[in-house]
Amino acid sequence: MSDSDKSSRRVEKPLSDVLSNRDLIVANPRYTLSILALLSLLWLLLTGEDWSSWLVGLPVVILATWSILLLRAPTEGRFNLTGFLRFLPYFIWESVLGGIDVASRVVSPKMRIAPGFLSYRMRLSHPSARRLFVNSLSLLPGTLAADLDGETLHIHALDRATDSDGELRRLEHMVAAVYEEDV
Amino acid sequence: MLDLMALLLILSGITFFFLGAIGLLRLPDLHARLHALTKADNLGLGLLIVGVALLHGSLLVALKLLLIWLLVLLGSATSAHLISQYALRRSRS
Repeated sequence: MSDSDKSSRRVEKPLSDVLSNRDLIVANPRYTLSILALLSLLWLLLTGEDWSSWLVGLPVVILATWSILLLRAPTEGRFNLTGFLRFLPYFIWESVLGGIDVASRVVSPKMRIAPGFLSYRMRLSHPSARRLFVNSLSLLPGTLAADLDGETLHIHALDRATDSDGELRRLEHMVAAVYEEDV
Repeated sequence: MLDLMALLLILSGITFFFLGAIGLLRLPDLHARLHALTKADNLGLGLLIVGVALLHGSLLVALKLLLIWLLVLLGSATSAHLISQYALRRSRS
């Protein structure tokens, strides 16, 4: 008896979420449509050109979009496509340089490395912007995220002699443009 | 011609994986080794995937490979971050 009470109470909470969520879908149709389009593309990639798979795929895509809208944190920053398209080639080019840099260091007979830690004060505030920044700086030449302590990011540098600070500042500006932040 | 380009890309991808492994052996400590693993392998897999996509020649497969690359990228950056955070905190305490 008490068990069924508990479960019915548990169902009630998502229902009220659904109602508030309907406002969100109406208020931001562009966001909802782009999530729908992205997830449909994902399903297409996973199943290939097997059109009968959409019997399962369409409901799954709609349910997944719905749950993404439900779980979206209100503090997430706005996503800017132009900023992202500018970030992408920069990121790919820098990660190519990063790979070549570390590869050339380890094959030289006397490895030119002077490893050590440095601190960097992060100016980004949105969680998603920070996530993108921290994850991409580990793929850039010579830097690796080690720990986050409030605003201060502890970074391991393969060669402390290189100007990591300017590089990080540039990356931070690129990431800020993706999430429409001012830094 | 396309096959030759694909072959070159795949071979250079393998080379970067190999260099990443050399870095893992030669570099002095945990953090420096993580540099080699994340960055060299990321580039190696990227080159490998472009090569395989050229060889296959289908857009759908190319996008699927791109998705795989992104997932591996996310996975390696996240796990490198976790390992280096753990090592740094343990060395301090």
